[in-house]
Amino acid sequence: MLGYAGKTLRINLTNQTYSVEPTPTELMRGFIGGRGFNMWRLYYETPQQAGPLHEDNNLYIGVGPLNGTSWPGAARVNFSGRSPQTGNLGDSNVGGAFGPEVKYAGYDQVIIQGQAEKPVWLFIHNGKVQFNPAAHLQGLDVVETQASIKKTLGTPRVQVAVAGPAAHAGVVFTGIFCSGVRAAGRTGMGRLLASKNVKAVAVLGHTAVRAAHPEKFEAMVCDLITKIKQHPQYAGRLQMGTTFLMSALNNMGALSSKHFQEGTMGTINQVSGEALAERVKVKNRGCFSCTVPCSRVYKTEYKGRKMVGEGPEFEGLMGFSGRVGASSLEFSLSSCNRCNRLGLDVITTAEVISFCMELHQRGMLTSAEADGLDLSWGNEATIAALIEKIAKREGFGDVLADGVDEAARKLGRGREYCMSVKGLELFMADPRGLKGYAAGLAVASRGGDHLRSEPSFEFSNDHEEGIRRYGAAESANRLAHKGKGRLLKDFEERCALSDSLNVCKNTLVNMEIMLWDETAQLLEMLTGEPWHGDEVRLACERIVNVERLYLARLGMGRKDDTLPDRFLKESLPTGESAGQVVDLDSMLDEYYTARGWDVANGLPTQAKLDELGLRKC
Amino acid sequence: MAIKNLRVTVEEVRGFCDMPMRPGDYFELRSGALVFPQGGRFCMWAMQSVMPFLPARQRATDDPNDWVPRVERFICPDPDGGVVMKIEVIDDDGSVTAAPGTSALSSAKAAVPLANAKRLVADPLKCTGCRACELVCSYTHFKEYLPHQAHIQIVTDDEACTDTPMTCHQCGHAKCLAACQFGAISRHESGGILIDTQACTGCGACAAACPFTAMKLRNGKASVCDLCLGKPACIERCPTGALSLRSLKGKGE
Repeated sequence: MLGYAGKTLRINLTNQTYSVEPTPTELMRGFIGGRGFNMWRLYYETPQQAGPLHEDNNLYIGVGPLNGTSWPGAARVNFSGRSPQTGNLGDSNVGGAFGPEVKYAGYDQVIIQGQAEKPVWLFIHNGKVQFNPAAHLQGLDVVETQASIKKTLGTPRVQVAVAGPAAHAGVVFTGIFCSGVRAAGRTGMGRLLASKNVKAVAVLGHTAVRAAHPEKFEAMVCDLITKIKQHPQYAGRLQMGTTFLMSALNNMGALSSKHFQEGTMGTINQVSGEALAERVKVKNRGCFSCTVPCSRVYKTEYKGRKMVGEGPEFEGLMGFSGRVGASSLEFSLSSCNRCNRLGLDVITTAEVISFCMELHQRGMLTSAEADGLDLSWGNEATIAALIEKIAKREGFGDVLADGVDEAARKLGRGREYCMSVKGLELFMADPRGLKGYAAGLAVASRGGDHLRSEPSFEFSNDHEEGIRRYGAAESANRLAHKGKGRLLKDFEERCALSDSLNVCKNTLVNMEIMLWDETAQLLEMLTGEPWHGDEVRLACERIVNVERLYLARLGMGRKDDTLPDRFLKESLPTGESAGQVVDLDSMLDEYYTARGWDVANGLPTQAKLDELGLRKC
Repeated sequence: MAIKNLRVTVEEVRGFCDMPMRPGDYFELRSGALVFPQGGRFCMWAMQSVMPFLPARQRATDDPNDWVPRVERFICPDPDGGVVMKIEVIDDDGSVTAAPGTSALSSAKAAVPLANAKRLVADPLKCTGCRACELVCSYTHFKEYLPHQAHIQIVTDDEACTDTPMTCHQCGHAKCLAACQFGAISRHESGGILIDTQACTGCGACAAACPFTAMKLRNGKASVCDLCLGKPACIERCPTGALSLRSLKGKGE
């Protein structure tokens, strides 16, 4: 099928061998690509008994049919495996230019198996895989590693995905980084790569991607570009990227200030997306083939040290400002950059640090226990020191380096203040102010994660559309509970579409630039075979279900679809979401019903599996 | 006798300057020092053609047989460039007046080739490194997507966070054209370089001669930007307007 590379590369690190096999057509039809392919492999291929750091825990690198074409934002790639961070489903997605290069190298999926005896970096090129010694790269940060490999290979055009020094030091919340500091940050995929003794994967390809109907495909691309440029969110995203959420969520009283104790930030104007854009932004950068290049290059100084860097997203900016009680833009930029360079996930890093600060505030953790660091809110020196300690697993950093749940276990206290779901730490918005997101965090297959659903429709206040789509006007109201189960199901499938086509979620999901029928049409022009909108939607539903089957196999179900008590019982004191708590059960009932799952245990019914053509493994 | 201060300004570009120099570009001679406007630059070759006359023009002379004070226009020695410069005197109050001279260059403009030629110019501060230009270039010329074969290539540096578009400069004095022994390379009136794939033997002499590594070999034939014969697809696709066409004779269009 055109559009797909048609080949899957299997690399065995233990024997330093590799082989190429055809990508099954049923996989293309049934799971579309990227995350779909990876999740299918994770459930059916990864041995059930393999623990996260076992050599049989394969790392899957998956791309989708649109990668490599000019579709705006078809830049992404999924890294998946059993998560060293949560012990459960691991999957993370990143932009930049690595994904398309995998396609140009001629593969839909790369499967990395086994464990190398000594540190290696892999080079995938011209149908071959080189296993190169990587001992000399071990001390380098993620950007230095990429630069060093590009220099070795003599071309800046090679794309390199890297596990940072923190991943090699054994920190579980470490990502895989490419195109500079772009992070597949969540669920510890960097740790998984590092556990295989792989420092980096470099790819360079010369296989062209062809469309079956090139003119028609390109015409659709042009139409979509126009649609994106005319979208009301276009200008704001170009100016601020996702950091526009700083002010937007502050206005809704739904920021995670001081570890979700306050929904707003008094000092928002110092660290907002607007402040970043107006004060320190130099220019925009974008992922491969992007029409809304939303990454911002900044130039500034922190403590007399000059900084040039890229990003951060809303998550990082808020993580190292409001979440930890700090309010300096330069400090936040500096901290995000440091985490990225070391290979840490900014969300989890900010969570474990803000967790310690809340324990300290409550008199549950002393400075003496934390290597003498002053754990008062917003202490910049402490936060900077903790980042370094975590990355090296040094002193108190070792307590935090396995994530917040483990930190509470090691300390023997503070479990009730762990802001995590299924072992994955929560993002930077307060779920009490966003009920659809709240339910999404509770059911997300990779744990407390917003990117599995992002039901941004609930910000719209478009009640008529809410009735039309989800049978409830309230579905368009962020504080309401009704209709959110059906909203969530739909947006989970939209996100599955985005992650399996491996395109940008900002445009596909948040800006709602394309849905089932348009996707089918696009795939028809690309592959030259008939596709139907229903078939595409069903494939996305299948992806969500196979992920659920994976969790079920690990013994999980409705009992695990929950949120930290704070969001269910304590209400927010101030701001536009004051007084709100989450009524999770009503939303879950509606969600499981919409999914055709058993409401009692939250698992797919046999009838649903039959409908989707899925078998249990 | 006071020494005059002078300003040398590009008045007109008749040909195809590779710098490129543009009308309005200038430098000044204040006493014994050359002074450039902030961020300004000036072609060394054009400058050296006018330099020998400047000390003489700084001093008044009443010798009727001395022709130097009456020459006010100079032309760059590059015959393809046709950069015409004018010398003016900066008065004490800062105003600029033409020196008492009469000369106007008389060469016919029409005689200069490539009158309508344009050049693809990139602004690295607007470039986002998205490489949409590479993709659309590959599609436009080959009906397939493979950025490595595109005629424009973005060089990214993730440490410095810079993105630099690299493309054919549409050189006036094109080295590729001169290097080809088989007559396979010609120039379109738009300024773009054309390859006759029948005549091209794939010897690679053009690629070796190109100072900007813009000329490449694809499937054994020379391959380079043809400016899409005047309407480059990359310019249209660029999301931030980082690419544009500039007339070689004046400011952008």
